[in-house]
Amino acid sequence: MSYLSHREMLGGLESVRVVLPGDEVMSYNPDSSGGSIFLGPGLRWEDGMVRAAKAGLLKKTSRHLYFVDTHQKRYIPQRREYVIGIVTKKKGDIYKIDIGGSEQATISFLSFENASKKTRRDLALGDLIYGQLIVANKHMEPEMVCIDAYDRAMGMGVLPAGGVMFNVSLQVAREIINPDCPFLLTLSKKVKYTVVVGMNGRVWVKAAHQNSMVALMNCILMLEYMTPDEANEKALKLLEALM
Amino acid sequence: MAQHACELSFLSRSDGSALYSIGLNVALASVNGPGDVKVSNRLYNRSHLEVCYSPSTGHSMIRERALESVIMRTVEQAILVHLHPRTAINITIQEMQSDGLALSASVNAACMALLDAGIQMKTTFAAVTCCITPSGTVIIDPTEAEIQESVAEATFVFESSGEASVLTAHQDGRLSYEDFKKCLHHCQVASKDVFAFYRRMTEKKYQNEIES
Repeated sequence: MSYLSHREMLGGLESVRVVLPGDEVMSYNPDSSGGSIFLGPGLRWEDGMVRAAKAGLLKKTSRHLYFVDTHQKRYIPQRREYVIGIVTKKKGDIYKIDIGGSEQATISFLSFENASKKTRRDLALGDLIYGQLIVANKHMEPEMVCIDAYDRAMGMGVLPAGGVMFNVSLQVAREIINPDCPFLLTLSKKVKYTVVVGMNGRVWVKAAHQNSMVALMNCILMLEYMTPDEANEKALKLLEALM
Repeated sequence: MAQHACELSFLSRSDGSALYSIGLNVALASVNGPGDVKVSNRLYNRSHLEVCYSPSTGHSMIRERALESVIMRTVEQAILVHLHPRTAINITIQEMQSDGLALSASVNAACMALLDAGIQMKTTFAAVTCCITPSGTVIIDPTEAEIQESVAEATFVFESSGEASVLTAHQDGRLSYEDFKKCLHHCQVASKDVFAFYRRMTEKKYQNEIES
């Protein structure tokens, strides 16, 4: 069984090279002729020169979007990302949610499906919420919602009891939700389970038995130390050993 | 020049950490942030930086406070603090072994730990220490014994751009202007090796992803 080459798998994404902060990526003058380029996370444009601001792999998509892929653990809230949060406080009509960033996010009691002023979903402290960040920038505290633009839940909301949540590095979370990565499907060949992945490095898993959940957690944690291909090969063996 | 070695992500609970050694000098740096900050330290437009230096033996005293101050001034010039207002970035440095190069090892460990944590920076920085003997020879990365015999000792921290401008200069003893320039020049040349070492370490960290 052979997988698509790395380049094809990532849909036109190409790794350029390893960069350190301060490295010059390219000089770009908006007045000069030529197409525009798009700068993603980890890059800054100053004085006509694009420089890297983080240490990592410089990547480029086919549509001239450049960014630095860094392996890090600390989450910086970003708008439109789906995250798993823990309810920490109730302040009147809003709840304070810990999403792993420097500030806690807020969510209004109305931001759930079928919520109205008369029917409200009461959250207990310590509940797990899967939602989307609608406000997240350096100036304001983050805000989360559990509905989309058409007031539908779309899988968001309170996570049911009985699962286990654990932390992974941000790049592992991005890897497993990548549609081209077969890792979660490989695990499903042995165990039937539900998984929710937050871009803030939090993964929630629920299965029928406790030992299956622990086994799944350890399989996903394996990805911190090896490539997805290697993990794919070892996953089934590890599941058998742990269950 | 002494042998540099480093292990990244040494501590499992820190956002970024590095165990860095220059010869027999070993420093462990841990970075956490950008994270929550006390109301008294909250700054409306930038991140609050805190450096804590622990010596290998004994309590933290004036010498450690002075080192913390030098390291903080250096790091402040490199980190893009305006990207994370109302947060704090904590850098903790534990001196594991010291043979005269505590400052260099700590500064370099802090730089590698910041790279490991993924905190956005303007530039990387590298510290090089040298001492000048009574006969006028400049020794890069001297041992404690060599420093005791020397006339003066100087530590420079450079940034990684082509011209290797100086971010911090720390000096002990008497140096004439010519000797100072000589030390600076030797350290500037040596800093290129340190930056090349940082690049090799980073390439090693991302090796799995490059290969697959």
